[in-house]
Amino acid sequence: MAYLLAKDAVMGLLEAIGKEYALFGPVGHSASGDVFFERADEAGEIRLDAPIPSNPPKFAVFPQFEKIFAYRYDRETREARITPEDFVMPKALVGLRSCDLNGLICLDRFFLGQEYVDEVYRGHRSKMLLVTNTCVKPFPQCFCVCTDSGPSAKEGYDINLTDLGDFYLLETGSPKGERLASRLRLPASGPEELRLKERAVDASIGLFDDRAKENKAWISRVVNRVTTGFIRGEVWEHIGDQCFECGACSFVCPTCSCFNIEDVAADEGRSDRLRTWDSCSFEGYTRMAGDHNPRKPVEDRRNKRFFCKLSYSQSKKYLRPGCVGCGRCARVCPGDIGLPNVVTYIRREITKDSNGR
Amino acid sequence: MDDKNRFAVVTVPTVAVIDEVRDEIEDVKTFYFSFEDKTVASNFVIKSGQFVMCTIFGSGEFAVSLPFSPQGEHPHLTVRKVGKVTSALHDLRPGDKIGIRGPFGNGFPFEEIQGKNVVFVAGGIGLIPLRSSIVHILQNRKDFGRVLLVYGARSSNILMYKKNIDEWRAVEGFENWVTIDVPEPGWDGEVGFVNLLVRKTDIPVENTVAFVCGPPVMFNSVIKELMNKGLKDDCIISTLERHMKCGIGKCQHCAIGRTLVCTDGPVYTYRQIKTLGEHI
Repeated sequence: MAYLLAKDAVMGLLEAIGKEYALFGPVGHSASGDVFFERADEAGEIRLDAPIPSNPPKFAVFPQFEKIFAYRYDRETREARITPEDFVMPKALVGLRSCDLNGLICLDRFFLGQEYVDEVYRGHRSKMLLVTNTCVKPFPQCFCVCTDSGPSAKEGYDINLTDLGDFYLLETGSPKGERLASRLRLPASGPEELRLKERAVDASIGLFDDRAKENKAWISRVVNRVTTGFIRGEVWEHIGDQCFECGACSFVCPTCSCFNIEDVAADEGRSDRLRTWDSCSFEGYTRMAGDHNPRKPVEDRRNKRFFCKLSYSQSKKYLRPGCVGCGRCARVCPGDIGLPNVVTYIRREITKDSNGR
Repeated sequence: MDDKNRFAVVTVPTVAVIDEVRDEIEDVKTFYFSFEDKTVASNFVIKSGQFVMCTIFGSGEFAVSLPFSPQGEHPHLTVRKVGKVTSALHDLRPGDKIGIRGPFGNGFPFEEIQGKNVVFVAGGIGLIPLRSSIVHILQNRKDFGRVLLVYGARSSNILMYKKNIDEWRAVEGFENWVTIDVPEPGWDGEVGFVNLLVRKTDIPVENTVAFVCGPPVMFNSVIKELMNKGLKDDCIISTLERHMKCGIGKCQHCAIGRTLVCTDGPVYTYRQIKTLGEHI
């Protein structure tokens, strides 16, 4: 169903959600001017009109540091006692951009849909409400049009909002979203408003940066090259030379989900098992005890990351490309090898090949 | 399995008690363990070639192959002291507790190879992950053709499972050759690298599978010999080792090519290994 939501009624919607869920959304930091997707203490902090947040919302389902259980081991009595954590908390992610929703869908399919279900992730993900926000205007870093993940959410949301100037179009995508919307007694939308949304999305697509538009047709060919491995070593070396091995790309990526597990002594006799974000760009990522490391040079590790983002084999796990076009890696990379640049480098190699050189 | 049990196996280790510790070779010990809970013990069903994640309380967790046969052997782990956590394990005594998650991984294709000749080629502590299959196959000796073990180590004092090898030799039709890298006083057996022993040994080729495990240099040279003899790449089977954290295909540390060693492996055919595009 679709409804009309007056602009001055948005706060009422957020407050209604805040009564049932812990609120997460884009929050502006007045000192720096940056916007972060984070826990909001009150509905008024959430800014639906804010630019794309600097961080993806993945921390809400996959925190950067997390205790997955604690244990005590008494060396005298030799008794071991393990205390599992409970990860379930009703959370609402409000004002999600379409790219970030798609990132979450990738994580869902990866953590819940493979051979094993990740029980920690499932705890976080259960009892979650997703409210997306259509990008009626793209941001300079964005290229979701290249990766089929925007500018408007197509599936997976409970409620989707689209700013149509004087009011929001509120679409429901699940029974949970429908129940919430019906409680607000909003006027139903007619076909005219749905057409307005379509036009707004089309207009938004036309506003994307030239690089995003140019790369659009090339993504599938790059996916093909990355999957088949027909990319010369020099290209990865060139990319590897520019990598600072800082791991920032992984940390801001909505779909990067590699983690480390470590036991840390907490107090006398107690240890916590922590799960923390990790990155394949770190040298120690594949190093085994005894110092054997099957992946050594940085370019070897770099092409692994882009294999994850762009290969068909990885897409089979996500049922879509592993890149959602949010542009954050390009924004944070000190070596200028965000994903759009990597696509450009591979694209250059393809055109060089077809020129017969 | 209900949700709570699954959580226990997959994310939270189950407590086991160390029953006995045996010295094998320098820096390698075998730890016999059992689960206190009888239900857990009976649910702990393994396949040869699988692995578990072993927690040393207060220290951490590591992935380790299972050397015992799925058919009636006392569960145990054979571990070399290489880093922080394995050193902590080596300090444990009978009665101490460890945590076990698993078993994980695909395991060796035991059913598929019935009726075939089986050649085991191991180097050094590469015999540990093959032990389970060797014992399991000897327990079911009549279901297989010729069964051979070609084994080598740097010197005689670091040959693994010497007592076991003597026991296996007593099984009818078990053929065994052992070599050490350089001559030493009192050794009257073979001398030279394992690949050279493979070259001069009468190894069956038709209707044969070979299990190969050892350090990368040994692995590559042995594969070459086996291929020269005419074995096909999908009849050569190995088990790979990678840095692992979760064991359930989520942390991605063990990614190799398009596969994950923990869920797609650790057992691969050489045909698969060739397509992974990564060093062994």
